[in-house]
Amino acid sequence: MPGASVIADSVTRCYEHHEILHGVSFSVEPGELVALTGPSGSGKTTLLQLVGSLDRPTSGRILVDGINVGELRHPAQFRRSTVGFVFQLHFLLPALTARQNVELPMTAAHVPRREREERAHELLAEVGLGDRAGDLPSQLSGGERQRVAIARALANQPPLVLADEPTGALDSVASAQVWKLLSGIRDRRGTTVIIASHDVTLGEHVDRTLHMIDGRLTEPEEPTAFPVSGHAG
Amino acid sequence: MSALVQTLQSMRHSPARSILTALGTALGIGTIVALLAVSAGATQTAGKFIHLGPGEMGLFQKDASDPTTSVLPESLITTLRRQRWVANAQGLQLLVNGLNAAPGAIVFGAEPNGFETDRMVFTSGHNSAGPNQIVIGQDLAPQIHAHVGQVLTVFHRHMTVVGIYALGIAEQDQGAFIPLSTAQAISGHTGEVTTIAVKVAPGIKLPTAEKLLNRRFAGLTVITDPDEALRAGANGQLIANVTLVIVVLALLIGGIGVMNTMLMSVIERRTEFALLSAVGWSGTQVATLVLTEGVIVSILGAAAGVVIGTIGAQLLIHALGAASFVSPDVTAWVLGRALLIGVLIGVLGGLYPAWRAAHLSPARTLAQH
Repeated sequence: MPGASVIADSVTRCYEHHEILHGVSFSVEPGELVALTGPSGSGKTTLLQLVGSLDRPTSGRILVDGINVGELRHPAQFRRSTVGFVFQLHFLLPALTARQNVELPMTAAHVPRREREERAHELLAEVGLGDRAGDLPSQLSGGERQRVAIARALANQPPLVLADEPTGALDSVASAQVWKLLSGIRDRRGTTVIIASHDVTLGEHVDRTLHMIDGRLTEPEEPTAFPVSGHAG
Repeated sequence: MSALVQTLQSMRHSPARSILTALGTALGIGTIVALLAVSAGATQTAGKFIHLGPGEMGLFQKDASDPTTSVLPESLITTLRRQRWVANAQGLQLLVNGLNAAPGAIVFGAEPNGFETDRMVFTSGHNSAGPNQIVIGQDLAPQIHAHVGQVLTVFHRHMTVVGIYALGIAEQDQGAFIPLSTAQAISGHTGEVTTIAVKVAPGIKLPTAEKLLNRRFAGLTVITDPDEALRAGANGQLIANVTLVIVVLALLIGGIGVMNTMLMSVIERRTEFALLSAVGWSGTQVATLVLTEGVIVSILGAAAGVVIGTIGAQLLIHALGAASFVSPDVTAWVLGRALLIGVLIGVLGGLYPAWRAAHLSPARTLAQH
């Protein structure tokens, strides 16, 4: 599946009268690998959550492949089909094996059991853990857990992958593996990848960097390709 | 991997939480099973206080709380014997908690030569011939080590054992017989009996005799079949009503218990549910996961409760010394109801936690980490 386009237009987000994002605008082309950098508290995570429909903007619009994600009636359905998340903490379910964790998004999408298992094995092989499918998260290292989380993000072959500080809890070796995997995903699949991080080594892996400070982009963009109106999915 | 497999693995991963939740349900269900079994047993055995042979009926006072509290005038026996459709009639006085050696045993006061006592087969000794003589059922005798010549106390009155009998009726073989006049004197019901056994004249059908009795004598409950015993007493219904109340209480308390544990579980696992939401699980799918776990845990609890209740009912009845007149009746219907209640507890207790899990904000929950 080709990558998704992402357009943010004057996006703000307030929590309890406190504005976290101040009219952020940018656009990402299908298949682009974009880094979102900035210090802690600059609004990177909030912005990724809005793009991934985990949250809704207070004002402004975010369009993913033309769909206004702030007006979705069934955001879970959108996430299931369009977005793959990688978090700083892997959030693997401790009772499930690596393969079963990778299957979770496919269970939500009602993928048949045999297909789920086959695809989970393929994805684990792709992240270099083909022989660890039956292991519980407690039996994996930090880097291996994060690679399982990346495989899980790819389970439903989403056109957009959002990674929030994916190497924040990893050492330099494991971090390098994660960067390689994420850039490989874009290269092989054409998936759009947006990575929020303050890892300075990220710049060499990405096409473009958006830098945020205090809820604003330091070099604001003027998106030019907004559709007339997005539709709710 | 199905939601069911995921639920089972989650339960296996946190066995203490699952076991404690199931245990709470098990105790509630155990109480229900014990009460239902005792209730069913009580209604079934009440009718066996008197033995009804072919062509015989038992008369009780209408609306008596149970067969043992029925009070009928002894003069009614004479009146009944005059009816052309009655071959014979005999009064019985039932005394409960009277035999010191076995408080749970029923002591029957009966005319020594009546048709009810004529059926006795004596394995030792003979029927009572004097006012202070008692005969002991063959099942009760070994329990209290009774033998002919021994002196027993019935409501502070010393009575000599003169025979050990067999009647073939469990409730009577686990009891004792004394002369009717003695029983009346002991209970202070001179001129009264608890029940009257009526033998219908040859050629008269029981339903016809029952109609004639009801038409001729008001205020009586007529029993032609021991299974109709519930009609003779309100206690069976009372137990049934109490059981219903306890079932409702168990549903509420068990439901709240399951809800509390499930809610704690949802709070403990909120990151897991937020993650599921983030990877595309709908609110309904997350809620189903929580409800499934609640129902599975409750069914396991109910199954354990059935075992606890079955054993508990037996222990309870023996502890109360009521084994001679009530035996718990654990039927498939009793067990089925208990399991159904277990499922209901799981569903009711899981509803709110499921709603909470389904409405977690994935953004806020995951951001907290």
